[in-house]
This record gives sequence, C-alpha cells and structure tokens, in this order.
Amino acid sequence: MKIGEITINPTKIICVGTNYMDHIEETKLDVPKEPVFFPKTLNCLIKDKEPIIYPTFLYNNPKINRIDYEVELAFIIKDTCKNVSLNKAYEHILGYTIFNDITARKMQIKDILSKLPWFRSKSFDTFAPIGPRILTHPEIGDPHNLKIKLKVNGNLKQNSNTKNLLFKVPDLMEYITKFFTMEAGDIIATGTPGGIGPIKPGDLIEASIEKIGTLTNEVILEKELN
Amino acid sequence: MKIGKTNINPTKIICLGRNYLDHIKETNSPIPTEPVFFAKTVNTLVTNGGNIIYPNVLSSNKDYNKVDHEVELAFIIFQTCKNVSAKRAYDYIRGYTIFLDITARSMQKSDRMINLPWYRSKNFDTFGPIGPRIVPCSEIADPHNLNIQLKVNENIKQFSNTKHMLFKIPEILEYISKYVTLVPGDIVATGTPSGIGSILPGDILEASIEKIGTITHKVILEEI
Repeated sequence: MKIGEITINPTKIICVGTNYMDHIEETKLDVPKEPVFFPKTLNCLIKDKEPIIYPTFLYNNPKINRIDYEVELAFIIKDTCKNVSLNKAYEHILGYTIFNDITARKMQIKDILSKLPWFRSKSFDTFAPIGPRILTHPEIGDPHNLKIKLKVNGNLKQNSNTKNLLFKVPDLMEYITKFFTMEAGDIIATGTPGGIGPIKPGDLIEASIEKIGTLTNEVILEKELN
Repeated sequence: MKIGKTNINPTKIICLGRNYLDHIKETNSPIPTEPVFFAKTVNTLVTNGGNIIYPNVLSSNKDYNKVDHEVELAFIIFQTCKNVSAKRAYDYIRGYTIFLDITARSMQKSDRMINLPWYRSKNFDTFGPIGPRIVPCSEIADPHNLNIQLKVNENIKQFSNTKHMLFKIPEILEYISKYVTLVPGDIVATGTPSGIGSILPGDILEASIEKIGTITHKVILEEI
C-alpha cells in the first residue's frame, strides 16, 4: 500500500496498549511493568480520506454498540530484525506516521471480562486508518516530543504529547523483537493518550501529530455502501 | 510460501479457540455460544520439516517455561470474501491442511488472569507449523469426519475426529467473515481436540489428519 509517497508491504500490525499515563488512569487499568501488545490484521488498514465503516451488526445491537477512536504515533520497520538492542533500535525504523486504533469498546470490555481474546473488537475492516505520509527518522528527529491530538467534528477530544509515552520507541523495539521477527513495512502503533471516546456514523475524525500532518476519515454505516 | 505443491500468500491466520468439547472440558472453559477466535501473525509459519524454535525468553524464565502442542484442521481461503453465508461457504475454500497452534501456555494463562491480551504467547516465530500439502475440497467430501492425531516422540498425545467440532466449517466462515474480509491464502484453523500437553527441546512432533498426511517438526532451543 502507498502511504503518501512511500510504498510499504506490511505483514503485521502490532499495537501497544496502556502506554500513556493519562489513558491508563481513564481506563482504570494497572500500570504495566512491561509493554502490553496485541495485533490488528491487515484488513483493518485504510488510508487518509477513506471511510471508516461502522459495522451494521454493532450499530443494531445496544449491548455492543460503541466504537471508539484512539490516535497513536506509529513507526514502520525498515528491515527484517529480531532481538534488536535498545541502542540499535532506530537503525531498523523507516519512519513515523499517524495511526487510529479504532476499537469496538463494549465488545472489547465484554470479551476481556469473559477472559476471551479481544482480537475481534479491534480488527473489523477499516478499523486502522493510517497516514497521511511517512516521515523518515532523520526528518522527525526526536519521536518523543511531538504534539498528538484528535478532533471529532472539529471538537478537540485527545490532546497530548509523545513525551508522555511510558515505554519509548527503542524500548518497544527491543521488547517486541524478543518475541518475533519484524519485517520491512511492519507497523507498530505505540498506544493512545487520554480522552478516548465514541464515534458514530456521519462523524469526521481528524487525527494529527506534529510534523507528520493530519489523517482525516469519515465514519459511515456499513449498509450505506450498497 | 509453498505448502506441498501449492503457493499461498496468507495475510492473516485466524484461529478458533474452544471448538472441541473434550478440549473445553480439559481446560475448564465454558462452552461458547458463538465461535471464539484470535489471530496469529505470519511470522509463526513454518513448513513441514522446519524446526519449532523454543524461545530463550521462555526457557530462561520458570514462570513462563511451558510450551504446548495443539493439532488442528485448517482451511485455506480461495477468494476474497466478506459476509459469506453458511450455505455458500465451500465456494470460498481452496482446501484443507494441518496446522499446529503452538502456545506458550504459562504465559497465556498469566496474561489472561490479569486481563491482558494473550497474543504474545501464541506468536513466537515458528509457533505455526503448517502442511504438508493442501488437499482441495473436491478430495475431502466431508471435512467433519477425519481422524486427527498428534504424537510426541512417537507417543500418541491427541487423538480425535473432526466430527467433534462444536462449530462446523460453514458456520465458522459465516461468523468470521462478518468481522473481517478474508483474502486468498488466508488461513483459518478450526481448534484443537483434547490431549494438549507440553513439548521440550529435542522432541519430535508428528501431527496427522486422515486424507491429508503428516507434518513432522523437531523442537530446538533458540540460540542467542
């Protein structure tokens, strides 16, 4: 897929959970001792200006009808790597982009409480807007000093700075590559700050990170496609 | 990747949990009212004869040092599909193969206990052996009547039949494709029967399904 001017062929998307203190406080989760991560599948990916499709069977079921936005800084892997040390982490990073980890929140909470995997709540088609471009590592300088925010219909909902990341980009690379091999184009999303909340069909979502730009996606109900 | 004579390019691996009643009982899990599924990533895939690498981060930590075998029937997606109805399911299936859902069990349990995702316990490199070939649907008239077994060092550990699957293949495809678009080459593993148990470096695993064949994998300790 093409993100801005750069073509990537990701084989996986790894998302870090509970990685901003303000988000940890609002979700009443424990502060993790080591990074917490989960996958999204590639069917989730959409680009800037493409619609987020709100699944009809969620919309029609009050028990599971809530979908949230989560703006995140993501980094893209440059080359195949495993067991990367902290001081070599940046050598394996192609660049940075904006990622929106769309989540079926009620379904996720219900699955967590039932001790079930929460994959399904995170991996509906279009639940991972990404873009609008990839800024290379030299262009970004310090990835831990970037304003990050999200607006719904022009109203500011999330507003933080990547300096508030609990585990920094090199920590995440070292930790995740202990578990598995990363390939060129793979996407790692670093977690969301506080201020998460619901979206509904018709909403316009604008996710911005300083230096990178703004990722804009409208929410539409699934059946409206036909 | 090449499985037998067939090339596939999977973009995802969807695994069913809790889909054999005997396995549900041995794990003391409730019987699901709808299919339970999770993802494995493609870094886990290893073809017949390849080694299963026992990760150093598990072998060096007694709290995490238990890795289990789980033999499963898998089906491969034939064409892009979303919202497939059960009665049309087989139109979207290319064929069947054997899949091993290798799982870091102690890590999975401790993660689940504290409400964490248990992705990491399932997705170490080489934790998804697959093969030895893909048998087309036309050669397996009924995928729900196949003996399925797993041996560790020639001792039978799992032995069942795919007729004991709680959710059958058409229901599984209908359910999963409500959530995600599946594309050609994607892999869906249908769950494991009872008899799961641990493996150790040096072990030889042989997973067999009637009409498909056997995959054989040696477990070796990761070298750092």
